[in-house]
Amino acid sequence: MDTLIAQYTEPVYDDEIYDGEDAQLTRISGPPTANLKFALPPIAQPSAFLRAVTDDHANPDCPIKIAHGTTTLAFRFKGGIIVATDSRATSGNWIASQTVKKVIEINDKMLGTMAGGAADCQFWLNYLGMECRLHELRHKRRISVAAASKVLSNIVYSYKGMGLSMGTMITGVTPQEGPALYYVDSDGTRHQGDLFCVGSGQTFAYGVLDAEYSYDLSTEDALALGTRSILAATHRDAYSGGYINLYHVKEDGWVKHGFTDTDGIFWKRKLETGEFSNVTVDL
Amino acid sequence: MSRRYDSRTTIFSPEGRLYQVEYALEAISHAGTALGILAKDGIVLAAERKVTSKLLEQDSSAEKLYILNDNMICAVAGMTADANILINFARQSAQGYLATYNEDIPCEMLVKRLCDLKQGYTQHGGLRPFGVSFIYAGYDSQREFQLYQSNPSGNYGGWKATSVGANNASAQSLLKQDYKENCDLTEACSIAVKILSKTMDSTTLSSEKIEFATLGRTPAGKIYHHLWTAPEITDLLRKHGLAKEKTEEK
Amino acid sequence: MKAEDDKTRILNDHCLMAYSGEAGDTGMLTRSFGRGKVQFAEFIQANVQLYGMRSNCTQALSPSSVSSFVRTELAKSLRSRKPYNLNLLIGGYDTVNDKPELYWLDFLAAKDKLPYAAHGYAQYYCLSILDKHHHPNIDLEQGLKILRMCIEELDRRMPMNFKGVNVKVITKTGIQDLEY
Repeated sequence: MDTLIAQYTEPVYDDEIYDGEDAQLTRISGPPTANLKFALPPIAQPSAFLRAVTDDHANPDCPIKIAHGTTTLAFRFKGGIIVATDSRATSGNWIASQTVKKVIEINDKMLGTMAGGAADCQFWLNYLGMECRLHELRHKRRISVAAASKVLSNIVYSYKGMGLSMGTMITGVTPQEGPALYYVDSDGTRHQGDLFCVGSGQTFAYGVLDAEYSYDLSTEDALALGTRSILAATHRDAYSGGYINLYHVKEDGWVKHGFTDTDGIFWKRKLETGEFSNVTVDL
Repeated sequence: MSRRYDSRTTIFSPEGRLYQVEYALEAISHAGTALGILAKDGIVLAAERKVTSKLLEQDSSAEKLYILNDNMICAVAGMTADANILINFARQSAQGYLATYNEDIPCEMLVKRLCDLKQGYTQHGGLRPFGVSFIYAGYDSQREFQLYQSNPSGNYGGWKATSVGANNASAQSLLKQDYKENCDLTEACSIAVKILSKTMDSTTLSSEKIEFATLGRTPAGKIYHHLWTAPEITDLLRKHGLAKEKTEEK
Repeated sequence: MKAEDDKTRILNDHCLMAYSGEAGDTGMLTRSFGRGKVQFAEFIQANVQLYGMRSNCTQALSPSSVSSFVRTELAKSLRSRKPYNLNLLIGGYDTVNDKPELYWLDFLAAKDKLPYAAHGYAQYYCLSILDKHHHPNIDLEQGLKILRMCIEELDRRMPMNFKGVNVKVITKTGIQDLEY
């Protein structure tokens, strides 16, 4: 039996002494392993290493620049949940993409949002999707949003201090919970709430959202408020921009309400409502 | 008697006079006449240019009228060399104000700054006063068009019409007679040229003998200043029948 | 609110300057050099008042000139041995053109004329509100309503505890303190 197990199990750590940089390359290859320990990079102090290569604040020449800037929001209202994001990915001062999908479709009932490291969010929310499907198979019913968010927060908590960077909102509508919204970040924080904005543009989105938010908003007004809040952030936050990705989550699943260029939205707003009066142009 | 007191500007004579300042004023009263008239829509400055020799190159540029900044010009009577120093000071001062406040210097403030400098030379020892009187024409948004005059003592005042230099007494009384309240700039120009023709020694006027400048407002509302060209002056003279006729030239 | 917490100075009849510096700029270190933000504010105040006196109280500096003057002084200080470190807002009523004006100046002596402005964290919380609710022709009452929205947002979202505000209104008739 032991030999059988040994055959399918690789040790987490090779006991051989870690010998600097070559070791990194050799360890990366090989199939993923299933075992009870966390797979850790073969470096003496992974978190310190990661910080050294990714912290572009302390070291502008760091080799890995993690995408950070974002604005995402989600809020609960009587018609379900509105989820809206921008679509800009930045790497330092470089706009790496203007067409990023920051709303992650965990399954056809639940959505997650992406803020912080794009790779971390994509990987772990995809992983969460897998866990949710496994939950369904195992328990013959859909996972609650509370449980799903808890699964994610437990995973990221176990990696705490090792450089994960994500701020996400898990949303869904279930019969037992109604519209449910959770905020989970890579510190391990998990909050339930009515309204969250996450990312470098969060304060700008909060400004607009807080002022006009109400649980009794009509669906139309709620969608408009979500759009307008992201627009506010794309206008003031250099690290947010591109397109507005808008979703409405209902009990029978989510509905996508477009991926719309902020440029058109901005000028339409400005010319029709006279907002953004600090932008002066002769048209 | 005056010998003991006139060599120094800092000393009052027993009669309470500052001789050097008075001599400076005297020097100016021999200089070419300059006059200024305030109209409701602008200001005209006119000055007599003394042609001392036929051999002298008749430079067409102004030598008695100067631009101080975008909305101020001035006429000079007295020593041109001294005037150059003061004008340079005024221009720098005006630009300094513009740089600090992003707004053109109020007219009276510039006049006052120049007069402070002039006054300094009536009090601090060893130096002679500037032998120059000025007539300033300016515009600022607070008080619109303004006309000032200053002399070597550092005194200045605002005027509706004024003159300095040779024959300024007669020019002044003619101004008093001819000045019309609320006249416009064209009327002011004719008054100016008529008075100049009467006070100047030469019987005939020509563009070589006088200088003209106006400060006004364009139809668009922008303030402009303009130093007149010779043909423009000739036109004005001809309009008033003061130009030297071609037949006379021959 | 205590009087010394008032971070505004009246420069002349129609001009008010609000200033903020880095936390601790008024503390021991700066006080020993004698160049805190209060000193700068008082220096500006004195000079603007001196200007008024020199023109026999007939010509006060316009808000635009005041802001340019402050900018020049701040720019001079920036390149000095001990620069002042403060951000400013200058509000004024231009009595000649009959228009209210607002100027935004930062500690690097950048100046901008804006319809609405903020400094520090307030920018992050309030500018989006102002972007949405400010319109060029709003009256004082509507302006105060938007201000109320901003204050409420700061109260709700600011990480540090928010001690309240001083509100002053500059109009054609002068500067009034508003009970808030």
